[in-house]
Amino acid sequence: MNLPEIPLLSMLKERMGWLNQRQNVLSQNVANVDTPGYTARDLKPVDFERALRNATSSNNFSNSLMITNPRHITLARDTGSFDAQNTPDIESNPSGNSVSLEQEMIKVSDTQVQFQAATNLYAKAIGMMKTAIGR
Amino acid sequence: MDLSTSMSVAASGMRTQSERMKIIAENIANANSTSPATGGDPYRRKIATVKSEFDHELNATVVQSGKPVDDTSPFRMQYDPGNPAADAKGYVKLPNVNSLVEIMDMREAQRSYEADLTVMDATKSMLARTVDLLKK
Repeated sequence: MNLPEIPLLSMLKERMGWLNQRQNVLSQNVANVDTPGYTARDLKPVDFERALRNATSSNNFSNSLMITNPRHITLARDTGSFDAQNTPDIESNPSGNSVSLEQEMIKVSDTQVQFQAATNLYAKAIGMMKTAIGR
Repeated sequence: MDLSTSMSVAASGMRTQSERMKIIAENIANANSTSPATGGDPYRRKIATVKSEFDHELNATVVQSGKPVDDTSPFRMQYDPGNPAADAKGYVKLPNVNSLVEIMDMREAQRSYEADLTVMDATKSMLARTVDLLKK
């Protein structure tokens, strides 16, 4: 078991990847706040149960084929990308733009805080490992 | 796909807003520009346009400023027979610029710019947190 395979760290990695991509989608929304006809987008929330099952089962036996060779193609989707969907904010202006700046700002700061939490947990986990090896 | 993509997208928004600000500034500066010719048309108000575009290199939807379009609303008329630009009846055509509208547009561009700046700030702090993991 190498470092990235440790369930806690791999889950945090996935979480950070998700937040990273969400920030990306939100920045697109904010940049297009004056574009006529633009619909706000957001990432689909992560299914916690599935994420937990993925992280805790070794080699993902549960929902994908076993990989015994690096050239094998996985059935599971690449963890680097998550699905974005159209999520129009509550109001939409006459030009058909449905981005609410306030809503987006809340989402951006929420993403920032969640990311801080994830990095803090990551640092804590590494610290615990250092404690265990007596450094 | 990483955090620098978010920064680039926010930067594209800021660039567009500053382009828009430039057009608003042109309108305000030319609010009283009359035609040098007798009875000629004065400065015509320009409207900034924005359009979203998919950037294949960034794999994200960035925003771009489009070609500014002319405002086709009628010019203001002012009775001023002594003015060299006055027509036969003594009326001078003044630009169709309304300062109040321009100020409103300016505020809107300013708010959008600030929003982009906030996103950039948040992204930068996320990036810094990630780099800080190396110190632990």
